[in-house]
Formats: sequence, C-alpha cells, structure tokens
Amino acid sequence: MSSNIERCYQCGQCTSVCPMGEQEQTYRIRRFLQMEKLGLETEESMMVPFIFYCTTCYRCQDNCPQDVNLVDAVLAIREKAVHKGKMLEAHKKVGQMLVNYGHAVPTNADAMEKRVHLGLDKRPPTVQASIEGLSEIKTLLRLTGFDELVAESKPVEHVESAAMMHQTCFTQQQVVEEGA
Amino acid sequence: MSNLSLFLGCVAPNRYPGIEAATKKTFSKLGIELDDLEGASCCPAPGVFRSFDKVTWLTLASRNIALSEEMDDDVLTICNGCYSTLKEADHELKSDADLKKDVNEKLFETGHEFRGQHDVRHVIEYLYQEIGVEGIRELVTAPLNMRVAVHYGCHLVQPLKEADSRLVSGDITFFDELVEATGATSVDYEDKMMCCGAGGGARAAAHDATLRITEKKLENMADAQVDCIINACPFCHLQFDSGQKDINEGSCTSYGIPVLHYTQLLGLAMGLSPEELGIDLNVTSTSEFIEKINDGSLMA
Ligand code: SF4
Ligand code: SF4
Repeated sequence: MSSNIERCYQCGQCTSVCPMGEQEQTYRIRRFLQMEKLGLETEESMMVPFIFYCTTCYRCQDNCPQDVNLVDAVLAIREKAVHKGKMLEAHKKVGQMLVNYGHAVPTNADAMEKRVHLGLDKRPPTVQASIEGLSEIKTLLRLTGFDELVAESKPVEHVESAAMMHQTCFTQQQVVEEGA
Repeated sequence: MSNLSLFLGCVAPNRYPGIEAATKKTFSKLGIELDDLEGASCCPAPGVFRSFDKVTWLTLASRNIALSEEMDDDVLTICNGCYSTLKEADHELKSDADLKKDVNEKLFETGHEFRGQHDVRHVIEYLYQEIGVEGIRELVTAPLNMRVAVHYGCHLVQPLKEADSRLVSGDITFFDELVEATGATSVDYEDKMMCCGAGGGARAAAHDATLRITEKKLENMADAQVDCIINACPFCHLQFDSGQKDINEGSCTSYGIPVLHYTQLLGLAMGLSPEELGIDLNVTSTSEFIEKINDGSLMA
C-alpha cells in the first residue's frame, strides 16, 4: 500500500472513531493528514510528538469513506520526522535495544528464572543465544544506517559478546521497560 | 504442507515465557513438530521500526524469514505484531523484485538469502484453517466451562484482510470458534474489536493515554462478567496483564482479570496444568482462577 492522502475530503470520520484522539485532545488524525497534504513544514512542531501516539489500530482507516490508507500515511510522516532527527527519546532507546541486543525487549533476570522454572532454556534460541546471529544483526543495521539513526551524540557502548551483553542489559532496560 | 519453525519475537520469550511453553506443549499434543528458529531477532516491531526506517524494517524481517526458509519451513508466529511485520514484509518482497534484490544485497553480507518460497502463519489462523474447529474439539480431553472475553487484536485482523479475506469479511468469528471448541463461552462485550492501546510505539510514546484506552476495554470486559481475557498476542497480553496493575495504582480501581494467550487456554483444555503453561506467572494474580480450575468449578 502507498500513501493516497490526496483522496481525503476532510469529513473527519477518522478522528471521530480514533481511540487515541478520544484520550488526547491534541491527537487529531484528520488535521495531521491535512497539514501533511499542504506541506506545512513550519507547523511540524504541532505534529511531533503527537504523530508518534498512533497505536496503528486501523480504526480510522476502516471508517474512511474515501479508502485513504491512513496508517501508511502516519508511518510515512513519522519516517520523515525521524530522518530529520525528530525521534522521541523513548523510541530512540527502543532502537538502541535493537542495535545492542537484536531485540526491542531483551531478556532480564526475572524472565530467565521463569524460563528455567518452565523447563525452557534459560536463554531463548534467538540472537540472545547466538553471538554470530547478533553480529549479523549489527552488520545489517550498519548497512542500513540504522545504528547511526538511533545513536546518541555520545555513542552508546557496543557490547560484543552474549555473555557481556547481559550486564549492561539490566541498567539500560530500566529506562525503557517494555517500551516497544 | 511445509513444516513450521516457531518465531518467538521479543515479548513472549523475554516477558511471558509461559506462552512459548504453552505453544510447544499444545503443538506436541497436536503431533506437530516446531523447529527452533535459531538466531532469530526482533521481527522487527511493525509500528516503531517500520516507521523509523522502512529499509531496516524490511531487511531484518527478511533475515528472519530467510532463516526459516533455510530449514525449508513456513514461519509460525504467536504474536500479532510479529505476524503483521513478517506477513507484510514477505508480501512486499514477493511482489517487488527490485526491493527483493536490494534487501538480498544486504542479506548476502551475512550469508543469507530471502527466496520468497515459503509462507508466514499466525497460530490462530493456522489452527483454524489447518486443524479446524472440529479437529481441536476432538483433542480436548478436559473441556472448560468458563466465560471469556476474546481480544482479537488489530494486527491479527489487518494482515488477514490482504492475505485471507474470507476469515475477516462480515462478522469475524474464527477466533471465537476456536475458543468455544475448548468448551468455554466467548461472551460478547461492548467495543470488542477495539485496540488494547499498546501498539504502534504508543506504549512508549504516551504510556498513560494507552492505559486509558486499555481501561475502557477492561471496563467493558468486566461488565460482561468474564472469568478471563483470551488474546493472540504477547504485546496485548502485556498491556492487559501488567496494565491492570498500573491502572489500579493510578485510578484506585481493583481490576483482577486473568489474562491468557489462546495456547494457554488450549493447554488447559488438553489437560495440562496451569503451572506447566505458566498461567501462574502473570503480574495480575491468577491464583483464584487456578484454584477454580483445580477444584473443577471452571471445568465442564
Ligand atoms: S475519514 Fe478519510 S476522507 Fe474523511 S477526513 Fe479522514 S482521511 Fe479524510
Ligand atoms: S490507527 Fe492511529 S490514527 Fe487511526 S484510529 Fe488508530 S490510533 Fe487513531
């Protein structure tokens, strides 16, 4: 699917069913689309951070009489903002989790204990148990430039081995507990 | 039909491993071997990573699918978010040769290739279409007797609109039917198809607002007097389970509805114990629920 917001005729039926709009007065999906359509770059500050509040539930899209692909439009607006450096701190941390551990939500002591209790391996058979797998992820994220995109100006410590991976995991994790 | 590799994602193995255990145990009772997908990563999450950088999202998704293809397996997901990412990435790459070439150039650097000869399945649609409601019913040895609130989740329904629209046109019932095959009753409640609140990166961006969405759903579920919530997604599971604690603390409410993934419900109906399925490991207490399983009052 691609963006087709030119089809929008501003009826507002998207905003009227949006669960986020119901909770947050500042979150107005119809308005964001209109601003995007008009290319109102100067008003961008009105969209960020709000555009990142969308739960991607597709309710607006299901309710749109013009078959506008609203969720694709939201994602495209976000991507543009992120590439201009306008990423929310919480999302940047989630991105760093991916770069460092290959998971947006990496394991922790509690999860490992539960796994053992259930008779599962302490570490799941994912990149968390594969140094080679993790290094493949890091290679790919370097090739796409994602590591730079989510880097702090002061580079975050890169952890090289699955064994070491753990210790730093806990401290960083408290910052964005399950934030994906 | 291809063999299956189990794609774990992040939240199931690293927060709710009971869902992983329940999937393995119920599939073993179904006589289906699930291969481990060694070295798999985050899917990566559809709302956040797809909107940060689409090429990154496609590249990591294609690597996960490629790992499964190397074993000649279809991918089985147990999470709506993973399903949305892998199903949609798979579809995009299969239908756009240039995109596939681009992604493969990167994947070659790590020794993998996305061939696009396999499929991505979600556990719920897989069970519904490959085993069938009757097939599930036949495998139930400990029929249940409880009222449940089924939560489909947005990213189970949305990808199916493109992949298998038969399941999602008109009244959507496939998940309810699977639930009822265990003997449980799927109770109707207001705004049943509404989002859990957590998706799209909103949980990180606007935590309190997402909890208010969750609270509305919980209110409607509680009004319907259900014994538990049944979901198909560890991220919805997390939002409902740990969300109840946050909501109770913030709004002086006292929600205490047990939250189960469908594989855990199915496990109970196949005679597995709540502990084997990790139902005792939730944030919101399930001890009363477990007592009622054990004393038979929630069993037929
Ligand atoms: S519902 Fe569709 S046509 Fe109406 S305002 Fe929203 S996007 Fe535009
Ligand atoms: S997809 Fe986003 S904008 Fe649309 S209804 Fe859901 S939360 Fe609102």
